[in-house]
Amino acid sequence: MAPEPLLAQGLTPGSLDDQVLAVPERRPPVSWIAAFAFTASLAGIGLLCMAYTLYTGIGAWGNNRPVVWAFDIINFVFWIGIGHAGTLISAILLMFRQRWRNSISRFAEAMTIFAVMVAGMFPLLHLGRPWINFWLFPYPNQRGLWPNFRSPLMWDVFAVSTYFSVSLLFWYLGLIPDLASLRDRANGWRKAVYTVLSLGWRGAASHWQHYEKAYTVLAGLATGLVLSVHSVVSFDFAVSLVPGWHMTIFPPYFVVGAIFSGFAMVVLGLLVVRSTLGMSNIITDRHLDLANKVVLGTSCLMAYSYLLEGFTAWYSMNPYIHHAFKNYVHGVYGWAGWLAIVCNVFIPQVYWSAKARASVPVMVGVSLAVLLGMWMERFVIIVISLHQDFLPSSWGIYKPTLVDFGILLGSFGIFFSLVLLFSRLLPVVTTTELKSDLAKASAATHG
Amino acid sequence: MSELKDNHLSRRRFLGLMGATAALASGCSKPDRGAVVSDSKRPAGSVPGISDFYATTFQQCLDTHGVLVRTREGRPIHIEGNDLHPLSRGKAPLSAMADILRLYDPDRLAKPYMDGKPAGWEGCLEGLFNAVTAEKPKGKGVLLLTGALVSPTARALVSDLAAAVPGLKHAAWEPSLSETETSALKACYGSGRRPRLLLEEAKVLVTLEADLLSPDKPEQVAGFASRRTGRDMSRVYSVEAGVSLTGAKADHRFPWKPSSAASLAFALCRALSAKGVPLPPGVSASWLKPFDLDDLARTRSADPRLLQKLVEDLRSSRGSALVVAGPSLHSEAHAAAFLLNAMLGAEGRTLDASLSPEPEPLESNAYLSKILASAASGAFEAAVFWGADPAYAFPDQDLWHAAVSGIRAKAFIGTHADETAQPCRLILPANHWLESWNDFEPLKGVLSLQQPAIGPIFDTLQGEDILQGVLSRLKPGQPASYKERLMARWQREVYPGSALTSFARFWNASLHDGVLSRPASANPPRRLDPKAVAAAAKQADSAIREGFEVILSPSPTVADGRYANNGWLQELPHPMTKLSWGNAAAVSPGDARELGLRDGSLVALSVRDRKVVLPAVIVPGQAQGTVSSCLGYGRKTGTVARGVGVNLYPLLFDGPVFMDRAGVQATGGSAVLPFIQRHHKLEGRNAVRTLTLQQASGGPLSTLPHLSRLMPDQRFPGHKWAMAVDLGRCVGCQSCTLACQSENNVPVVGPERVLKGREMHWMRVDRYYEAGRVLFEPMLCQHCDDAPCETVCPVSATNHSPEGLNQMAYNRCVGTRYCSNNCPYKVRRFNFFEYAGHTKEPLDLAFNPEVTVRPRGVMEKCTFCVQRIDEAKAQARSQGRKLKDGDIVPACAAACPAGAIVFGDVNDPKSRISQAFRDPRGFRVLEELGIKPSTYLAEVTNPAEGHGA
Repeated sequence: MAPEPLLAQGLTPGSLDDQVLAVPERRPPVSWIAAFAFTASLAGIGLLCMAYTLYTGIGAWGNNRPVVWAFDIINFVFWIGIGHAGTLISAILLMFRQRWRNSISRFAEAMTIFAVMVAGMFPLLHLGRPWINFWLFPYPNQRGLWPNFRSPLMWDVFAVSTYFSVSLLFWYLGLIPDLASLRDRANGWRKAVYTVLSLGWRGAASHWQHYEKAYTVLAGLATGLVLSVHSVVSFDFAVSLVPGWHMTIFPPYFVVGAIFSGFAMVVLGLLVVRSTLGMSNIITDRHLDLANKVVLGTSCLMAYSYLLEGFTAWYSMNPYIHHAFKNYVHGVYGWAGWLAIVCNVFIPQVYWSAKARASVPVMVGVSLAVLLGMWMERFVIIVISLHQDFLPSSWGIYKPTLVDFGILLGSFGIFFSLVLLFSRLLPVVTTTELKSDLAKASAATHG
Repeated sequence: MSELKDNHLSRRRFLGLMGATAALASGCSKPDRGAVVSDSKRPAGSVPGISDFYATTFQQCLDTHGVLVRTREGRPIHIEGNDLHPLSRGKAPLSAMADILRLYDPDRLAKPYMDGKPAGWEGCLEGLFNAVTAEKPKGKGVLLLTGALVSPTARALVSDLAAAVPGLKHAAWEPSLSETETSALKACYGSGRRPRLLLEEAKVLVTLEADLLSPDKPEQVAGFASRRTGRDMSRVYSVEAGVSLTGAKADHRFPWKPSSAASLAFALCRALSAKGVPLPPGVSASWLKPFDLDDLARTRSADPRLLQKLVEDLRSSRGSALVVAGPSLHSEAHAAAFLLNAMLGAEGRTLDASLSPEPEPLESNAYLSKILASAASGAFEAAVFWGADPAYAFPDQDLWHAAVSGIRAKAFIGTHADETAQPCRLILPANHWLESWNDFEPLKGVLSLQQPAIGPIFDTLQGEDILQGVLSRLKPGQPASYKERLMARWQREVYPGSALTSFARFWNASLHDGVLSRPASANPPRRLDPKAVAAAAKQADSAIREGFEVILSPSPTVADGRYANNGWLQELPHPMTKLSWGNAAAVSPGDARELGLRDGSLVALSVRDRKVVLPAVIVPGQAQGTVSSCLGYGRKTGTVARGVGVNLYPLLFDGPVFMDRAGVQATGGSAVLPFIQRHHKLEGRNAVRTLTLQQASGGPLSTLPHLSRLMPDQRFPGHKWAMAVDLGRCVGCQSCTLACQSENNVPVVGPERVLKGREMHWMRVDRYYEAGRVLFEPMLCQHCDDAPCETVCPVSATNHSPEGLNQMAYNRCVGTRYCSNNCPYKVRRFNFFEYAGHTKEPLDLAFNPEVTVRPRGVMEKCTFCVQRIDEAKAQARSQGRKLKDGDIVPACAAACPAGAIVFGDVNDPKSRISQAFRDPRGFRVLEELGIKPSTYLAEVTNPAEGHGA
């Protein structure tokens, strides 16, 4: 059986331009303004809570001893993970010549950028003295001080900053031909802005040649990053002594989890963009179906990881690790462990049904469940492992404060505000790639 | 300077010199705050940056202790024991160490007040004089209510005053001191002289509702601990309701209702006598008939064989056995204990009354009630309250209010405007003891001097000086000040008048040492009065009573409430419940089940017609049907003290003796309690190890095979500092925690943040309930050779010194808190807020200038008192010698009354620490992680044969 076509019938390069590139030229509809007002207020709440934290200290949060890391690092790991789908789609799927990525890659890449931006706030914010965060970078200074390269946090600094710069370059490079198209259509101040942004792109054959080369090189770099960034993030935990963290399975387990939650976020975002911008002919059900299959696949991998983690814990014969794992599903925070398992392992199983993969309400529900589940998973790993470690005398209970929740909400507010701005100001779909798809399709029909 | 002469002053050297000069200049020019001595002209012998030590004496109720005050640039900053003092022997009580905070308490009365308005001393003293000496209608008098007056000079002053002021009635009253022992002593021996307990001599020790191991009695802790290691260790039996530190350390503990403690003691006498131990002359065996050990064991569900074993142990250790009854027991229990000690030949061996002074007379609550009743009916025209706080601690507050309204002129002398100060017209601020002169004679022939370590910080006078001022106005020819009175008394009565030494030299030498020992005539040997024993045996009954029995005792931290405004002591948890900032009713797990209680459930405690509601805390080991709690909380005054805990004094009708027929009911409400330790069981982990005496004589404890490692071991070629904690000696008193807090400027965070789990103690004493026993384990930074915290710090703020210290560079710390995650001992503390920066003046003067005050966002932890290491090194260098073992004593080790903490250089094979490292009892907590922490020595218990765990 021939697969369903990726793009709707009747799409031509001209209509594609009119549909995608005209968006930034129009005034935003009321629904967009309402949505932006909502996300911006969430962002405002978050920024206020952050300002309060910077003013008073980490004490504004629920963090304590033994749980010195909590929402701050949970949010960091969560948002870094969200970014992973974008990189996977743009880099790995490109390398594997998965053409279906073309309709969604721009959006997913933008999500990566925004997610990493949001994630990047947390390591800075969680410092006791954030104003000296630059001490984490190896810059020559008169004090002759140098960071400690043995610390996984140092590795994090490099992993995340590399990840952000490569993702940004990759995204921007892909944008250049589309920015040039926008420039050609626009006039007035818009034209000036797009002229600068499009870096003198003329669509010459030599431009295309260089573009393709650079794009492939960056894709190659990003491919490694998909696997390395979250591996390095997982080292923060795996390299430490904490029972429940000290495990070799963490790097692959974290990467899978990241892609899993990232795809859930991509599906959610695409649904919103597709309906608000009327792009169901470009972002078709088939795209969503494929993305949902990735969610299902990674969910199964998560289940495998959980089982293997449990097995390793049991097999270790280490009473401290046994205790930590018992705590994941038993004890004060047992509900969190179960919530993570239900959301990450059981709920996505509905995607075995093709009907479920095509149903918008199911997609929304499952994607939200996966996001919740993956956030809870980081809660389980961080808070539950920390609250009872080696010496029972120092065991304690962690309770988040309103400021913690404010910052969590704010991170979503900032992320979605950026996504909404992006959807109005830049082409959400890579028109150049789609045009080549269309050209190939028409060649196939007429040839 | 040779560099200068040779014209070879390098740029680096020049900058170094300039920097030092600038630092000196800025250091010297910074003015000291307030009225504290400002060194515009440096006093001879005082060098900025070098500590001066003053020997003085700390008094609390009836106890006095010789202490050394460390001062820096004129400010007292730390207190340790005076090792020249024959009783203190270098150990300071917990309260003395903590009371340095009261010196700088922002709540202190800073100037005199009259009618609620600030007034000059001149007018206030005039007012006091007029009030005391005014013409009074016939039959009316003046009441002088004080705390225990222990100083012989102060007592002489008060009796001189009483002689000079007609109608002056002096009453000394301590609300938390029980009089039962004194009255039993008087009845049985004809004198209230309290014998010294020579615990180091006791092979078999039996305590009846007595806690000998209070950190405020360091000499007892030292004596006890010295018998808890080695082949000849003691065996301790503890009979008590609440779990005391003594009970926790005991080899066998019997949970026991206090009402039948006396019958148990008499039953032990009878059993001993049946085994052939002769009764003292005049004591008839028939008096002991009603007391049968097996019956008691049955009704109290105690193991009769173990009680028989106790009798056997006592019999076989005659001459080295000791029985101690506690203050909350009635006098018949004390009499029974005296009889036991007499039978066991304790006198002169484990008990020594030969040099005990006649105790200060104290008034009971009943007697004070009479005085207050007469005050209410107008018997007193004026009253002076000095060091007594009846408005807080007198049980019958209605009577107190009536008495207050019956007295026309009221004056208050004290450091703080406490509850009693409220109705007073004249408020006269008194000096802290670190600003005062006095003398004490804790033992005949041991004279202990109190001298100021600082001039008065505020516009205050010593209480004695205020009374001296009144006396001087009445009688001409009086010494100008109390200090002169003190010196005059010493010149008259103490100075031997030798031609070789002038009095000035003698006085200065005595002040230098803080103590003077001179020959004294021993008391005549005391003899047990059989009639008193007969009366006591008649009084003692073994009937089982209905209802709960309640034991209220002074708090182990804030004492009778006098230290309630001390943040250090409020945050120092109760050693057993680990509850900070407040008191709770300790109930047994069985009773808790029956009443449906959990930790924090509110209970109504009713005794006779009084009822108090307070939170409950479940304590395994608490005797069923008993409730224990602490006095000293629920104060109405003081920024720190106000509203912390519940005032239980209203229940103390008859003073602090146990109360029976009490009711305990759950009210249904509950409170969240600020526990410093939140999990109480060891969960099967081997973090604390205990051996029996037999096991201890086996091979080395550490059974871990040598771990093969990829990395080479760390090398420490010079010194390698390390610490060992002997769990056999440690009694869990937490003196170390407090000493560390004082030495290292550790902030107090308050109950809300303790609840959140953000307390800052660098050193803590973990307490576990395990297999029917209580285990203590002081926990502090282990300074692991392969410290896991160091590798994870992204900025190397925590790193290893070449001498084996795990050190923190606060300046470099950015606050990722990763080190705390990776510390398996969780001894690192994070400044979640700017704690130290909010210190109110003049509290900041209590800071140790050698220790950085940490800002917000920075991690901190134990440094092994690196400032003391450096100080000792500098001292050795300036004396041109090498460091020797014992030169460096960290604050915790110096404070530990049990001598459980050993510190030193493990590279020196002869040092005490090296010996401790070789001790077969040695083990390392979480050794299996391979991080090479410090060493602990396992606790050894000495259970009776066939009864060991």
